[in-house]
Amino acid sequence: MSWDVIIFYLIAGISVLTALGVVAARNPVHSGIFLVLCFVNVAGIFVMLGAEFLAVIQIIVYTGAVLVLVIFVLMLVDPEDLPSFHTSAPLQRYLSFLLGLVLLLEVGAAILTRTAFAGSGPATPQAVEAIGGNVQALGQVIYTKYLLAFEITSLVLTVGVIGAVVLALPERLGERIGTRRGTISLSHTRGTDDMLPAGPRGETPIRVDRTRPAPAPAPVRSIITTKDPDAHTRVGLVPTGDRQERNSHE
Amino acid sequence: MNEITAEHFLFLSAALFIIGMMGVLTRRNVLIILMCVELMVAAVSISFVAFAAENNTLGGQIFVLFALAVAAAEAAVGLGIIIALSRRGKSVDVDQLHELRD
Repeated sequence: MSWDVIIFYLIAGISVLTALGVVAARNPVHSGIFLVLCFVNVAGIFVMLGAEFLAVIQIIVYTGAVLVLVIFVLMLVDPEDLPSFHTSAPLQRYLSFLLGLVLLLEVGAAILTRTAFAGSGPATPQAVEAIGGNVQALGQVIYTKYLLAFEITSLVLTVGVIGAVVLALPERLGERIGTRRGTISLSHTRGTDDMLPAGPRGETPIRVDRTRPAPAPAPVRSIITTKDPDAHTRVGLVPTGDRQERNSHE
Repeated sequence: MNEITAEHFLFLSAALFIIGMMGVLTRRNVLIILMCVELMVAAVSISFVAFAAENNTLGGQIFVLFALAVAAAEAAVGLGIIIALSRRGKSVDVDQLHELRD
């Protein structure tokens, strides 16, 4: 066995194991980290296939942007909303295993018995090397033959960003801005932090009473989905006084 | 066994795709389902690059590039939907999302 065979089986084994980890992990954060590992290994596979640009893009876009976004959303979602581990119906699980096995056999048979080969194209490894490398060769093709598709991709990304912002906006953003108006100001003079500005109809400014005790903080929730909520990391900012009180209780 | 052929990469791609599919079918958490969909996209892109390397073309790599951009947009929109679901005080359990039906 030569080295590239050994390296291929190493990368393939790790990527399959981490993919199984994504599906089987009980904690969603662990799933996300397994997915990062899996995508790094997929990038290694791309390097083995001579697609260095795609490998770098895979790491930047997936593990750098998308997975960070997923884990960030995981932190935002209310932990009580997260469902328990698997589907309640075991029949669905067995059916999915059966379906996966059948599909694997079908695809394996198709791969082993395929007869349609497209033949050798112009971009042999020597030709790509003569252009200057994978990145140069890809750039030449993208900006000539696939220019229109490339521009349309930017349109798709723009629409996706707008859609994400519209979906994630609070439903009553206008009211929230209205009630908080004046409390966030970048241009107030020093020492006037506790003076709210005058109301829209000329009311006198209200002086905020700083001596009053702060309202009781909301209960701290755990982020993890399993049944025992106390066994996991607590998230959120606990005021120091509250923390001391909590410690004295414990 | 002494040489890596395109079949090796195709089998790896099939394995990853089917693992992702089983995750989509069995898990109930919408976030995990989204991650498994990303896994399936990555598996298919391995197939694309393997075929492109076998046939000495660059078309497969270009296609993966476009699919990656679309997958990034899909992830952004999907996560926006999840945040909206969570903000409405409802569950992110796919078994309980039937508001359109009722």
